[in-house]
Amino acid sequence: MNNKHVAVIGGGIAGMEAASVLARQGLKVTLIEKQANTGGKLNDWDHLFPDFSSPDELVNSLANKTKDSGVNTVCNTEISRIERNGKRFELRANQDVRFFADAVLVASGFNVFDATIKEEYGYGLFGNVITSVDFEKRMKKHGQLHTIQGTAPKRVAIIHCVGSRDAKVGNTYCSKVCCITGIKQAIEISEMLPDCEVFCFYMDLRLYGSKFDSLYLQAQKRHKIQFIRGRLSEAAERADKSIQIKAEDTLQGRPLRMTVDMVILLVGMEPGVSTSQLIQKNQMTVDENGFLKSANMHCARNQSTQEGIFMTGTAICPMAVNETLENARSAATEIIHFFENRRP
Amino acid sequence: MYSDLNQRLKADVRLEEGLQACMNCGICTAICPAAEFYEYDPRSIAITVQSGNEEKIAALLQSDTIWYCGQCMSCKTRCPRNNCPGLIISVLRKLSQETGAFIKSRMGRQQYLIVKTIGANLLQFGYCVHPTSLVPATHPEQGPVWRWIYENMQEVYASVGANLDGDGPGALRKISDKDLDELHQIFEVSGGLKLYQTIEYFSQRKAIELGLTDPNGEADMEKYTQYLLNE
Repeated sequence: MNNKHVAVIGGGIAGMEAASVLARQGLKVTLIEKQANTGGKLNDWDHLFPDFSSPDELVNSLANKTKDSGVNTVCNTEISRIERNGKRFELRANQDVRFFADAVLVASGFNVFDATIKEEYGYGLFGNVITSVDFEKRMKKHGQLHTIQGTAPKRVAIIHCVGSRDAKVGNTYCSKVCCITGIKQAIEISEMLPDCEVFCFYMDLRLYGSKFDSLYLQAQKRHKIQFIRGRLSEAAERADKSIQIKAEDTLQGRPLRMTVDMVILLVGMEPGVSTSQLIQKNQMTVDENGFLKSANMHCARNQSTQEGIFMTGTAICPMAVNETLENARSAATEIIHFFENRRP
Repeated sequence: MYSDLNQRLKADVRLEEGLQACMNCGICTAICPAAEFYEYDPRSIAITVQSGNEEKIAALLQSDTIWYCGQCMSCKTRCPRNNCPGLIISVLRKLSQETGAFIKSRMGRQQYLIVKTIGANLLQFGYCVHPTSLVPATHPEQGPVWRWIYENMQEVYASVGANLDGDGPGALRKISDKDLDELHQIFEVSGGLKLYQTIEYFSQRKAIELGLTDPNGEADMEKYTQYLLNE
């Protein structure tokens, strides 16, 4: 098995973790990243849920692991085609760069939902409507939150399910991580600006993970975050740049209008664009949501429908950071089994 | 009278389009103009119809609730499950008319006035609303300007380029007898006329129930109309 070569497409946390596990098992691993640095979307995040830990620390430790385990990391290289040649694969990238591998692991991640598609929420039109990703970037860069007028917001509305569970945008699935992200960001705002009122507009709070519900309790008890069960119908900018929002408080059965200083849209996860290009050219199949389809959802989650091509992380479905890392280790195990069971 | 309501609702093709599966998010109520002014909540109507509860559906058919919708269909543009509460309302209204449940509510009883005005205008003029039918005496809410327009009808409409009751093209032109005949036939074949008759039949029964009768004990629909206008 030691002479086998695995090519990992995507240097986000899933690709990094899987690559280092495979390399530590003695395989030759090439980790291919299209950006200048590994770490993927986590490079933009400020804090992780549910423990408010640092994404930078996580990315750094993964980078050290890949380096120490002997992974060959290649950045600025985007794979556009995987070709099967007998039992081997030839991967083609830009500028005629080629890689050869005995197995391929696709860890190409997700795309963030483009909130301008939900035009009625005013993203891209009104300066005080931002996304949860913008929030992370701003906090990372400036360490503070302010309105477009430069003032500290006194009232913030956090909107759940933007681009998720919505047939109008073609995404009927749940992105899973937005509910807890909203609660995390609500607590962060409340800690930073104790006088700021924060409202979360939700349909169902899907707090499936370990410690997620205790964070919800903390948000209500300690931070007085208000949770209103109702989906936003629209947002409108007022003359003073504040945002008027409309929803129904469905537990009261009453329509509700409210003016807030800022709106944060919890944008969901979508299948990655680069994934879709790979799929078209390699006959890999996707599930009903457009994510890569597993050979078997239960016992071969990381196997694609093409032999020798595996996948991991949010290329399969929306998942949280800890799940992504677990999934990466599971993908590494499946690849090792694949080589062990294969006749020479 | 109120049996098999579920089945009768589902027999209407508009329900198939209007209610696939509701997850109770309230976005329809949040966008609904009627919900801003009335005790009206399209979400709860969708949930009631989805529940299939015969008693609750019967109560809806007899309520004011289903008559608040303005059929603007804003709800259709927003629903994340591609439902359309406006269409659910259309189906409930038709069933309320067919079963006579509409006479149990004040808003429902207005159906009689609508048949007698807009319904009659349609068949008589080919227009829902016609300048000659909007008589100032019965429409004081239109104010003095409308009275002036009404009294100087020919000149006013000619001055804005309309062709009131005239032959040939133009706004408010006379609709030919041939076209009115066709319209009548459409109402006959599609069940529209029968619905008019059903609404009249139940309204007469309500008039009798209220004691609004002539010396022969028949329903006095003049008195009933006055009753509705003052209700």
